[in-house]
Amino acid sequence: MTTVTPFKKFFGHAVLIVASLLVLLPVYWMAVSAVEPNADILSSTIHWIPTHFQPGNFSKALHAQPFGRFFLNSFVMSTMIVVLQVITSSLAAYALVFIPMKRKRSWFFSILLAMMVPMQATFIPVYLILSSVHLINTYLGLVLPFAGSAFGIFLLRQGFVSIPKDLVHAARIDGASEWKILRSIVLPNAKPMILTLILLNFVFHYNDLFWPLISTSTTNMRVVPVALSYFLSQEAGQTLQWNLLMAADLVTIIPVLALFLAGQRYMIKGIMGSAIKG
Amino acid sequence: MLPTNDALGSITDNDAVTVKTSQRRLLRKSSSLYRFTHWAFLGPAMFFITVFIFVPAIYVIYLSLLHWNLLSSHPKFVGLANYKYLFHDSDFRTALSNSGIVSASMVLIALPLGLGLAMLADLGLRGTKLYRTILFGPYVIPLVASGLIWSLLFNGRHGLVDQVLSIFGIQGPNWLGSQPYALIAVIVVTIWQFTGYYMLIFLGGLQGVPVGLKEAAKVDGAGGWRVFTSVTLPSLSPSIFFAVVVCIIQSLQTFDQVYIMTNGGPDGSTTTLVYYIFRQGFGMYNIGPATAASVILLVILAVLTFIQLRVSQRWVVEA
Repeated sequence: MTTVTPFKKFFGHAVLIVASLLVLLPVYWMAVSAVEPNADILSSTIHWIPTHFQPGNFSKALHAQPFGRFFLNSFVMSTMIVVLQVITSSLAAYALVFIPMKRKRSWFFSILLAMMVPMQATFIPVYLILSSVHLINTYLGLVLPFAGSAFGIFLLRQGFVSIPKDLVHAARIDGASEWKILRSIVLPNAKPMILTLILLNFVFHYNDLFWPLISTSTTNMRVVPVALSYFLSQEAGQTLQWNLLMAADLVTIIPVLALFLAGQRYMIKGIMGSAIKG
Repeated sequence: MLPTNDALGSITDNDAVTVKTSQRRLLRKSSSLYRFTHWAFLGPAMFFITVFIFVPAIYVIYLSLLHWNLLSSHPKFVGLANYKYLFHDSDFRTALSNSGIVSASMVLIALPLGLGLAMLADLGLRGTKLYRTILFGPYVIPLVASGLIWSLLFNGRHGLVDQVLSIFGIQGPNWLGSQPYALIAVIVVTIWQFTGYYMLIFLGGLQGVPVGLKEAAKVDGAGGWRVFTSVTLPSLSPSIFFAVVVCIIQSLQTFDQVYIMTNGGPDGSTTTLVYYIFRQGFGMYNIGPATAASVILLVILAVLTFIQLRVSQRWVVEA
């Protein structure tokens, strides 16, 4: 680290503090609004600290719609996607790194190709395919399009490549099956990468609005982001209950924030690594 | 999810691909031995990727050549008529230009902001980890949730934004209900959401800037600005390029904020490309124009992703 002059130090702290406050302010404002009466939110004086504390907003908001069901849907969907992706991606990454095969480059190329296709450009055919097998508005319909992931294969391949090949060779000579090698040598050695994949993926799919919005049509299949968007449209107009909306909003982001704070080391490294290692 | 392009560069290193000629025969032999195994291992991922990525990508091109109202009429082959329709549809042109505006704003505002913050976070000040955590935080919040928070902040007259502006004697506009402020509001949310992510990308890049080179430049009498432009920026140029491409790719997929905050309005002034596709497809069931626009989006994003992959590959070889 180069030496930092006192001026730079002061300037650095000042800017970083202001930026942090700008980032935190909207979240703080949401939290304050979530425990206020609606009238206080709409009043023309700024209440930095709630003057009428209304913790009842939370239960009111959560009972306005079956939020328990929405959370359950979100967790089931995200967990299923993460589990499937970890399985399919680690198998594929293992094959690409450790199993000798012809045309390895073409496999690799086809995975590169897959990374170039975003869901937003193909959701209509995906919808038609799933609807032809009657999977629209089901858990499988929410999950299957993301069961295989080119990104996941890449991320894990990165982790696998750094595992000494000799370790795998030795196990093979000892008669271990490929499946056993993957489970007992490769996966434990690639733990940080697996955790990164799990965290980034869970957060991504828990947050996703686009596909659940399109592929579900009944209240009992709604996931949290879709439910929030409905909350807004149903309450729209004069009677918009901002306080209840913010209460629901706050409850929605708590799971991802908790996950982020618990696993930020991996998430931050996962993203920074993309710039270092390219 | 958006490829953050980990591991892309290592296509050639450490791989069985690089085995020497003398080992080729051995590989061929073992390769047939492993034939079943490698199918079993690659199979599941490739199955899903084929069914849900490759097939739809080809299918969407086919659909874009049809005249089809999802609900009723039978599909009719119309060639490039849907593309012609898009060319003449002013809504589509607006959507395209809005997506361009969002991308440009993100590149011109969020990226420099992210770079500046990354440089400060790279000074090694006390509490850097905390700053980093806070600044990256919005990235993990669902865009739907951010959109709702900012809808409240931009809420006319009573919203915090307008109240703060009024302290300075400025009467805020009807943010979400008037042009061009609605699009500005959408961009503000997007900047708030993603700047921390770009900061991390730059922070990763900054760790690769050789400290010795910086010191040497200083010893040679270079000032801070000179060190920045002659040492830091050039060493950082690969991450900058990477960030620009990723930023454009991300911005072109803008949907959630718009869906939550403005529904594409007022008067289509916040309709982005993805929102346009969504509305044509699932609002009006015009599968033809919707899929033709999808193909256009697909081509743009594919080209950008291809550039991103190529650049990141080259840059690893050089690094």
